[in-house]
Amino acid sequence: MASNAGKDQPPPLDAFSERLDAMRGEDDPETPKPSGAAWGRAMRASSELLAGIFVGSLLGIGLDRLLGSEPWFLLAGIGLGFAAGLRNLSRSL
Amino acid sequence: MYRFRAAGPMEQFEILPIVDLHLGSINISLTNSALWMIIGTGAIIVFFFAATRRAALIPGRLQSAAEIFYEFVSDLVRDTIGPEGRKFFPYVFTLFIWILVSNLFGLFPTIPIPGLPHWLHTFTPTSHLIVTLALATMTISIVIVYGFYKNGLGFFKLFAPSGLPLWLMPLLVLIEVISFLSRPLSLAIRLFANMFAGHVILKLFAGFVVSLLSAGGAVMLFGIAPFFGAVAVTALEFLVAALQAYVFAVLTCIYLNDAVHAADH
Repeated sequence: MASNAGKDQPPPLDAFSERLDAMRGEDDPETPKPSGAAWGRAMRASSELLAGIFVGSLLGIGLDRLLGSEPWFLLAGIGLGFAAGLRNLSRSL
Repeated sequence: MYRFRAAGPMEQFEILPIVDLHLGSINISLTNSALWMIIGTGAIIVFFFAATRRAALIPGRLQSAAEIFYEFVSDLVRDTIGPEGRKFFPYVFTLFIWILVSNLFGLFPTIPIPGLPHWLHTFTPTSHLIVTLALATMTISIVIVYGFYKNGLGFFKLFAPSGLPLWLMPLLVLIEVISFLSRPLSLAIRLFANMFAGHVILKLFAGFVVSLLSAGGAVMLFGIAPFFGAVAVTALEFLVAALQAYVFAVLTCIYLNDAVHAADH
């Protein structure tokens, strides 16, 4: 910064931002996260699966009530909900 | 003499009306839950006004604390959504700070003044499913509204993964729709379950200490183990309180990212 010391104007912020981005880009994007995040991920995984099954079953029960076709939509809903839960899970990890 | 009474572990979640208010047949009473939401919100406002009142280029201690929060959420939004995410920063920031403060304020021990009205005991608003569900619904509403506003009907591409054989489409679209609908629920359940379970465990350990101490004699010695348990769980609860606020903010960002980039799928 010695070369800038004599000038009246500091370098524009855009240039500074670009340099900052360039330096940020150099570090490894796969840096390990702090260990607390592991707990968070575990909690996330379990609730993702649970929510999928829950919503699938609820939709199944709702359709059954509506159409009077117990228990077929519930059974299909549980299966699809489980699949959706696994989809959530695979996306979250 | 003040008599110790080991309250049940669920008593702390009881909603107590402070001021009875009714709007037609709807009960809109000010409750202890609402009171602690107001206290939390007030504390946030006071903190950020105090921190930014004399904003300086070289920040003081208070301003540094506020800037750490700002940069933390700002980085999160930029890393997850990208430059288009700037406009969601105020929402994510508000959500993060509010959940964090609600979680943490619930961890304040109630000062055991005899005759203190029950509704003044510390309360965690986020330990109720309806509160977290309201927050999650708000997030998903923004995702849906902004998703359609930004992408138009292209938002539906979110439910149709590209590069699939046509005969698999109906099944997978169904699964994707259920997966999308389960998002607010999974957001809400996670925050609620973490806060709820943590407070129950804390209360159980603390209750053991009180019961064992009041038993008298040599049994009192056994009170040491749950006492250290309670200390450990308190430390864990501070971690969980911060972590769940962070997780909620991260997932909000991920879902908003879907809304912003739905058409690129």
